[in-house]
Amino acid sequence: MDAQPSVPPARRPRDAARARAAAWALAMLLCGAGQARAEWFYDVRAGGLYDDNLTRAQNAADERGDGAATLAAAGGWFYAPSGGDGITLTFEANSEAYARFRGLNLVSIGGSAAYRHKFGLGRDVPWASITISAAHDDYRSDIRDGDRLEARLEVGRRLTDNFDASFGVATDRRFARNDRPVVPGISGKAFDLRGQSVFARAAYDITDRVQVGGRASVRRGDVESTTRQNLDIFLASDAIAADPTFGSDFFAYRLRGTTATANATLSWALSERSSLNVSYAVARTSAYDDLNYLSRIGTILLAFRY
Amino acid sequence: MRILLGLALIALTGHAALAQHEIFATIVDDKGKPVADAVVVAVPADGGLRLPTRRDAVVDQVDKEFTPKVNAILVGTPVIFPNHDNVRHHVYSFSPAKRFELPLYAGVPTQPVVFDTPGVVVLGCNIHDWMVGYIYVSESPYFAKTRADGKAVIADLPAKSYVVRVWHPQLEGGEAATKRSVDVTGKRRVDVEWTLKLKPELRVRRSPVGEHNGHY
Repeated sequence: MDAQPSVPPARRPRDAARARAAAWALAMLLCGAGQARAEWFYDVRAGGLYDDNLTRAQNAADERGDGAATLAAAGGWFYAPSGGDGITLTFEANSEAYARFRGLNLVSIGGSAAYRHKFGLGRDVPWASITISAAHDDYRSDIRDGDRLEARLEVGRRLTDNFDASFGVATDRRFARNDRPVVPGISGKAFDLRGQSVFARAAYDITDRVQVGGRASVRRGDVESTTRQNLDIFLASDAIAADPTFGSDFFAYRLRGTTATANATLSWALSERSSLNVSYAVARTSAYDDLNYLSRIGTILLAFRY
Repeated sequence: MRILLGLALIALTGHAALAQHEIFATIVDDKGKPVADAVVVAVPADGGLRLPTRRDAVVDQVDKEFTPKVNAILVGTPVIFPNHDNVRHHVYSFSPAKRFELPLYAGVPTQPVVFDTPGVVVLGCNIHDWMVGYIYVSESPYFAKTRADGKAVIADLPAKSYVVRVWHPQLEGGEAATKRSVDVTGKRRVDVEWTLKLKPELRVRRSPVGEHNGHY
């Protein structure tokens, strides 16, 4: 596979105009919020993560693990048009700084809009929510740059005073900003991904301060795996790009696959407005008959809400 | 002389009948820690209750919490629920002692809610699920709520025998199990202590839960 000179992507004025219009509409909504007895909130999350298979590679020789410091800040607005309905708009900025693989260093800005409806009065009535979120990701490694969209539908219910559960479906789309093909005739947008998932989650308060949570999801769609040259993966992939983040001989491949993820979280409330959270996630992806990879991610986060 | 003796006897008898007594309650949990927000109620053993004029009570909403979290009132008391937050609340209760709903509002509702049945009323807000408050509706005018030091004083008690009981939101077992007979006749102050077994407080969590989004 010979590397091709990279071609800067053409700017698309129509997309930019749409983005400006959406941002303007959101700003207008937020300006009106103050007069509508809306509730403002501010979140800060700081911590770290360790991912033992950042490359999402099958072969141990291609797996790369690294730790990152993470910092996220969000500001938002909640408005209840009625006793059973709530609308939340959130702006969020995220950053991740890796110790070794600096190409993964990320600054992301985005926002989300969510509508939640409770079917009745009380803490234990069923509820449903729909959330649409969008973000722009700016990585140090240009081939990862892009925009993300996600739509999520979730229904849930508090089953007891200290146990609640929900499940839902989601669709996600990641638009790669840069197309840098390395094989003629094959797309270089290895990070241009789409997928659909189902998920379930539950949280149980062991005490008034300690909560354990679990989340399980299955996602079907595009996945990205970075390895050294591999004929089997090459034949199964539909987009390939050089991925110098992990070395000059690494390539990012886009494949169709199914990812099953299980996540457990232990959250300790430090106060009414802060918590310490430790979580562990295991994700297993089956991209095709011969490619299965596993990644494990541990995170620790301090979360504040004002 | 007889008249003077008669007047003195009447004065002494009257003084004895009108003398005000108090029950000084101290409540700790099974680890010996003072229990705040426990309601101590004294009911005359002879059942004779003379209910005083009721005054409005207030359950405020500040920083998205009910304030006070536990309020003790006399049956028939009107309660107003002012909202001092800059967001709206939707207050409700499903408790048998009082079912009511104050749909989404800001400021002070125009009408108070009258609590006309003795019992415990649990308050909630349909917008902020973590908000929880309690109104203890007492059938007796003789009640008090413990302070942070676990102490409460029921004052101005006529000299009688009382059945005294305690309630707390986390009380394990029934309120009836805390009943004690207390006779204040002939004593200015009677000290009574309770050791309560409390359940852990489990309510909808308010503090945030941090999550990290992975990638595919």
